[in-house]
Amino acid sequence: MAIKKDLSIEYLGVKFENPFCLSSSPVGSNYEMCSKALEAGWGGVVYKTVGIFIADECSPRFDNGNKEGTPWIGFKNMEQISDKPLEKNLEMMSKLKKDYPNKVLIASIMGSNEEEWAKLAKLVTEAGADMIECNFSCPQMTSHAMGSDVGQNPELVKKYSKIVSEATHIPVIAKMTPNIGNMEIPAIAAIEGGAHSISAINTIKSITNLDLDHLTAMPVVNGKSSISGYSGAACKPIALRFIAQMKQHPKLKDVEISGMGGIETWRDAAEFIMLGCRNLQVTTAIMQYGYRIVEDMISGLSYFMEEKGFNSLDEMVGIALPNIIPAEELDRDFKIIPKIDDEKCVGCGRCYISCFDGAHQAIDWDEEKRRPVINDNCVGCHLCLNICPVQGCITPGEVKFKEGREPHDVIFKTKYE
Amino acid sequence: METKQKYLTEAVPSFTPRTAMEEAARCLLCHDAPCSKACPAGTNPGKFIRSIRFRNIKGAAETIRENNVLGGICARVCPYDKLCEEACSRTGIDRPIQIGRLQRYVTDQEKAFGMKILKAVEATKEKVACIGSGPASLAAAAGLALKGYKVTVFEEKEKAGGFLTYGIIPSRLPQSVVDEEVQYIKDLGVEFKFNCKVGKDITIEELRKEGYAAFFLATGTQLPKTIDIPGVDLDGVTTAVDFLAAAKPNNGDIEVGENVVVIGGGDVAMDCATTARLLGAKKVTVLYRRTQEEMPANKEELKFAQSLGVNFAYTFRPGEILGKDGKVVAITGEGTDGESKIQLKADKVIFAIGQKADDLKEIVADIELNEKNLVVADEEADCKTNIPYIFAAGDVVNGGKTVVHAVAAGKVAVDSIDEYLTSIREIEATDKEVAAEKEGAR
Repeated sequence: MAIKKDLSIEYLGVKFENPFCLSSSPVGSNYEMCSKALEAGWGGVVYKTVGIFIADECSPRFDNGNKEGTPWIGFKNMEQISDKPLEKNLEMMSKLKKDYPNKVLIASIMGSNEEEWAKLAKLVTEAGADMIECNFSCPQMTSHAMGSDVGQNPELVKKYSKIVSEATHIPVIAKMTPNIGNMEIPAIAAIEGGAHSISAINTIKSITNLDLDHLTAMPVVNGKSSISGYSGAACKPIALRFIAQMKQHPKLKDVEISGMGGIETWRDAAEFIMLGCRNLQVTTAIMQYGYRIVEDMISGLSYFMEEKGFNSLDEMVGIALPNIIPAEELDRDFKIIPKIDDEKCVGCGRCYISCFDGAHQAIDWDEEKRRPVINDNCVGCHLCLNICPVQGCITPGEVKFKEGREPHDVIFKTKYE
Repeated sequence: METKQKYLTEAVPSFTPRTAMEEAARCLLCHDAPCSKACPAGTNPGKFIRSIRFRNIKGAAETIRENNVLGGICARVCPYDKLCEEACSRTGIDRPIQIGRLQRYVTDQEKAFGMKILKAVEATKEKVACIGSGPASLAAAAGLALKGYKVTVFEEKEKAGGFLTYGIIPSRLPQSVVDEEVQYIKDLGVEFKFNCKVGKDITIEELRKEGYAAFFLATGTQLPKTIDIPGVDLDGVTTAVDFLAAAKPNNGDIEVGENVVVIGGGDVAMDCATTARLLGAKKVTVLYRRTQEEMPANKEELKFAQSLGVNFAYTFRPGEILGKDGKVVAITGEGTDGESKIQLKADKVIFAIGQKADDLKEIVADIELNEKNLVVADEEADCKTNIPYIFAAGDVVNGGKTVVHAVAAGKVAVDSIDEYLTSIREIEATDKEVAAEKEGAR
């Protein structure tokens, strides 16, 4: 029998049947799309950002970052907020809430001045939204009064958060831009302004590739291109870092966070939750694979909870945060020497090359047997383990304490996927 | 696709840039590249696959072509499963990298880019004659031309390529690929004389008088072997050499019969079976005296034949061919267990059990031959024969090996011939100096 755990979780006082939501983006642009997604099992949608401003989009507007035979490691998009009239979007939002009363509708809004922010907040509240996300972070707006230019300015973030939260009775989320050194600063400003929660991260300003024929970035728009947002799996490490830093900041540690940035699988979802997110948003993986991916997120997360004995997502939220510590606090008393399984080894010698050219010349190459041999130079960096193409061939072995350090128990990972 | 069209179209599709990259990404990029060590012709897959991986297709083409002027041909006909791909480390994880297919992709790209990696050099050195135009001779001719020799290839048939042109099925090796690589060699300054059989139309002695200073004998093995069993003279009994040589130049417009039996188990036998099947035979059976494991045919060729519905009768040697009104109607097979017997209906029987060399004495009266009538020479060392100015390699020496072995031997011949002619040149120069000194002393 299929295992189905209760994945419901409260976020900002609203119950979500599961934490998975569409993020404000092309994947939630109209009624049909959101409806199909909700039918597929998503817990809620953040409807594509609405504004008084109506976007005038370019063509083409996407590109992907790739490596070897793997496309879509990251994804660049040049779309702005909704290109539909506000009335039309409000109408569709109302219908969504009416047709799916048990799902959560989050309205994403973006104004260009105080009046617009207030007006939008009021209108989406009337349309039936359960909460509002303030988009302070789209990096490719054609107006500098909007988007990440606002998100980089804590004064404006605070001001607009205040206006929105005063114009509505529903919870307000401030969506952060990663195009900044410390996200804590605008996040604190948003909370001080009256926002109830932070969502992070929006896309990262990028140039994915140059087109070598037209001498401009991709995508090529009539011979030119622009810097615009990068998303997808490649961004996950950056998203997790921003989220962890916010959740560890004394002023933000109790603020609820909706996390996003490269979530594709249940595993990614678990990681965001364990770093403190109560809600999750996804776009890029849906653009690549469709709404159906939520099925494996739900199923995979259920199996994981079953395996680890978690009864609710609440038990998982932020559970990894205490283990993310400053570099100066890490135990540096030992090194773990890898061990190589000669039976599993196929003799490619990649560990030998990488150890010599990229580490500590700690692997000798037995020409005759075509096998690597670890020598006394090994510092336990585990580059070899990272490079080895054979499952389970190189694994952590003996723990050696540095000279003069007191031996003690060491927790380390033994199984690698 | 119509089967006739299948006969003329390459069975294995080419990689696209994306699929090539995916395959190159599977490559472990080994430290010591066992694939590269396993190539008889010294092709360096370890290097050219790395070039593909790092998006340097032109560099990949350079690696292949500088080493092997017949890179596109070898990419299609090499027995990878027994050479580079057998050595591939990836096999330890799942399955080897498709090295041959990647090589083909690179040579296709080379063509698409219009690259000319090997460039003609001025021919300032002696005249050299290459006799025969199979892979050994083509490789030697190109190599010698690149070293500045004036090379002429003498070919008794109308077209160059030997078994590449008159044997291998187009679905494996399209004629256009052979023609293009022959043109490549022509562009290096090599001259071709067709319909010219050395020993008959012109003799070695005559060529020596015309100034040819060295000869490379690579006439291959063109005479089919048959077995002396009852019925071999019946109408409908033929040989692989004749059958394939009729099919390919006619683009497959030949009569193949309905029930075809092919005797043999090598790549040539596979080519006969697939040719017969694709050109309309209803039933094709391969009769082979040993087991499938022992069969020398390339695995891919075997799979291709099986995919076309070719039947295989293993461990049967041909017994007798039965006829009616002078025409073949059946063939019997004797089991190697001494008991089993089969009889197969047949209107065509093709012997694909190997070939032997022509009478080489017709070309060079006093060349030393072994008991198999093959030229005595060490094609891995120097290709030297008992006659100092005659070198030999390829099937005429080894009795029948693969195209890549022929290419490898051709390359050995290039160095050996160059060394020989260089030493003569130096001796002559010294003699002249001595003569001049003597002249001066007088």
